[in-house]
Amino acid sequence: MTEWQKKSPLEWLSYVNKEVKVLAAEKNTYQGWVLTVDPVSANILLAQPLENGKMSISAVLGHAVQDVEIVNEADDTMKEKLSHLFMPEERQRYSQEEMERKKISLKGWLETNHIPVKEQGELQTTLCVAGVLTIDPPYRPEDCNSSNEIILSRVQELIQGYLALQQCQV
Amino acid sequence: MEILSPPKSSNGHMACAMKVPVAVVRLPRGPDGTSRGFDPNSPRFQALGPSSLSSLVTPNTAELEEEQQGRVLLRERYLRSLLAMARQPVSFAMYEKVNVTALFGASDIDILNFQVSELQTPLGVQREALLRCSDIIAYSFEL
Repeated sequence: MTEWQKKSPLEWLSYVNKEVKVLAAEKNTYQGWVLTVDPVSANILLAQPLENGKMSISAVLGHAVQDVEIVNEADDTMKEKLSHLFMPEERQRYSQEEMERKKISLKGWLETNHIPVKEQGELQTTLCVAGVLTIDPPYRPEDCNSSNEIILSRVQELIQGYLALQQCQV
Repeated sequence: MEILSPPKSSNGHMACAMKVPVAVVRLPRGPDGTSRGFDPNSPRFQALGPSSLSSLVTPNTAELEEEQQGRVLLRERYLRSLLAMARQPVSFAMYEKVNVTALFGASDIDILNFQVSELQTPLGVQREALLRCSDIIAYSFEL
């Protein structure tokens, strides 16, 4: 393992939003703003704005990183730009009642499919499936969280089916 | 021969019970020692997990929590970048100055292999391919 791969997540976090120069294997160099460092592979993800308004995204694989040098700090506009790069579209706003209705309806659907589901969280807004998967508002397939990918894909499919069914009824 | 003969009706108690199937609705089990996952005791985690995991060294819960929060933020951004990269043309810089382009498909959770399509190699186009991440120095795409 290289020096870079041995760093802790908090050390990697200190590089986020900095402009860096990365020296990689075979004398390759890369420059850009650090979006993230994958804590599993130590891959560095860099963003470099292009003249046509697009972003060039490059990643240097953790095992090939030899040296990382910080050359600049991001200002607030840059930070904002970087943090929204991969995030899903801004959520549609729903009223509390609407959200409650969505939750109860989805809970009913899961229960008719024999999926054990409970409400949890401070405001009971999160649905918890079998203690291993959570669904946050607004309860879409992409709002599911689980470390078990099999359960995740099954429940996401169920929600997809439920949403498709609703579309038909409208 | 005795063993191979079918069960007689006199001791068909079990066979009878088996004839009525019972519907069992059950979710698959979560990660454990012998399956895929991040259980720290699993052979997989011990083989692949970072031995630098400072949470194993520092039993301080506050520090551990902070480290875990940091790890979540970093990992989520990285996973979302992989989602954004799916079906996009990506160019890969490999060792020995080999540069190839392909449509990115998927990655495994340990980021050890990338599945790509239409890999443009110096020897022609490979419809489907797996790239070992240990052979790649860097990759890039436009967003």
